[in-house]
Amino acid sequence: MVALPPEVVELIKDKGTLKLLATTDEHGNPHAVVKGSLTVLDDGHLAYRETLESSQTNSNLLRSIWFDKKVAVTIVGANRESYQIKGKPYRYVINGSLYKEFYLAARERGGPDSELAGVWLIAPEEVRTQSSKARKEEEERKHPHVRHYDRAVYLSREQSPR
Amino acid sequence: MSEANGELGYKEVLEKYPHVPKFVTLKIDAAIRGAILTERAFERARESNAVFEDVVEDQGRLVQRRSIAGAVLRDGTHLCRVSAESEGPRNTLTRGEPYTIDVVDGKLQLVDNGEPVEEVFFATIPEYYGKKTSRGTPMHRVVHAGPPDSLNISVYGFCYFWQQKHPCHYCTRAQQTKGKTEAELEDIVETLDEALREQGKWTAFRLIAGSDPGGSSPYENEANEYVRVLSALRRSFGSKGIPARLVASAIPREQLERLAEAGATTYEPHIEVWDEKLWERICPGKAKYFGRKFWINNAIDAVKVFGRGNVCSQLVGGAELAQPYGFKTIDEAIESDLQGVEFFAQHGVTTSLTILWVQPGSVFYKEKQRPAPLEYYVRLASGMRDIRRKYNLAADFNDYRRCAIHPDTDLSRLDYPEFVN
Repeated sequence: MVALPPEVVELIKDKGTLKLLATTDEHGNPHAVVKGSLTVLDDGHLAYRETLESSQTNSNLLRSIWFDKKVAVTIVGANRESYQIKGKPYRYVINGSLYKEFYLAARERGGPDSELAGVWLIAPEEVRTQSSKARKEEEERKHPHVRHYDRAVYLSREQSPR
Repeated sequence: MSEANGELGYKEVLEKYPHVPKFVTLKIDAAIRGAILTERAFERARESNAVFEDVVEDQGRLVQRRSIAGAVLRDGTHLCRVSAESEGPRNTLTRGEPYTIDVVDGKLQLVDNGEPVEEVFFATIPEYYGKKTSRGTPMHRVVHAGPPDSLNISVYGFCYFWQQKHPCHYCTRAQQTKGKTEAELEDIVETLDEALREQGKWTAFRLIAGSDPGGSSPYENEANEYVRVLSALRRSFGSKGIPARLVASAIPREQLERLAEAGATTYEPHIEVWDEKLWERICPGKAKYFGRKFWINNAIDAVKVFGRGNVCSQLVGGAELAQPYGFKTIDEAIESDLQGVEFFAQHGVTTSLTILWVQPGSVFYKEKQRPAPLEYYVRLASGMRDIRRKYNLAADFNDYRRCAIHPDTDLSRLDYPEFVN
């Protein structure tokens, strides 16, 4: 498990941030869904509220914890700042104080008809920025041959004017 | 741990059956061997509000009993036979040395022979435990919680099979109380009212009783008692829309319709052993009242009342391997068991697997029977899940939360997106 940088934690906790969780089924088919409840706990685990026992995401996360597979979380802030976090499901919480805290929060927000199957905790293992500027700079540093020549000429002239 | 007689231990079984998750394999191994809390773990349990202490009668004397609310693995799989009492699992005839649950590097761990195997978490004691009804009855004796999210009501402790000296050989039930008084029914209502104040805790109700074949039709007396308790439940809920499970005898269809009308939503007449000759020997009371065909046909007929997938039989896995009269190999046993599971599935009846526990008071205990090897349970649970998938049968009312003693329904958790009750 790696510690998430403070700016990532802050972005995850920002209510305006879009949070996507991507998992795979038993055949490797991808399944990506928005998880607005995703947050970071004090111990560094990602946590989200799973409302449906029978959801495809729940089944895929269970398969991941059973057979040691990774999942991916992508977050996109209001200013387009974006990160991808890959990790492994660490625990599915179905009772105890943490479960109750999420359950009561769900009911407070959604009323007495709110349901909570469980709380998934995900241990982050890799974090990388997904902002297009940072990703482009990284590619140019690592793969200087991979670019169109008209742009290469433009960049070359920008850096060394005649 | 490898057994000296060549049986595969936990690690070997994991390696041989990689499609079965380690959590379920571990649950089975801990169930057949038991798991005992160290003093350090017990203190952790106490800090976690996971310990309930009570004075109970045990073989004619009052003893202090410390029980644990439940122990859960990281994936939510519930561990069975976790004991705070060192003599607990040892009283039961196990297979192999028990695991311990200890605090290792600050974390609660299931430990095998000094080696931490998996992290464990405690469930918490229900809030109604320790409270009393208005007439002074301890509520935990009226409605028993677990495992782990179920409220369980013993409709009565009496079993006619025991009285007639025809008990099922794995059974320890031998109480004499017959039916609830009106005051006891009121205790149930009060206890449920109190239990349901706890938010986010309960996901199942289960009603259970011993067998009573008497009445003007087979098992009518038993059905009557279930109806009385279901009516009390409805008084508490104020509605009949709450799922309620019945674990009962082979009650004929007209009585089942009464039970469904009273609020029962699922029904479990357990066959326990599929092989005909072994069934007659191991379940002599069921054989006498009123035979294997009656029990099987009743389960099938019940699908017309409760719906496909809402009727569940059960196998006591390992009973059919009782020696010297049972199957001699696990291959033979599993072949017979899966024939039964598939037969039921073809008729819309699902089947769950429970692990044989050989406890004092049972015929099997006197015979010194043991649970079957780990590999047998892993293969059988896996085969039962495969059959459930083949016939699109759900197991959700009998799953890892609503009745966490079935390793086969633990495996079916993956199948929820596909199946509909």
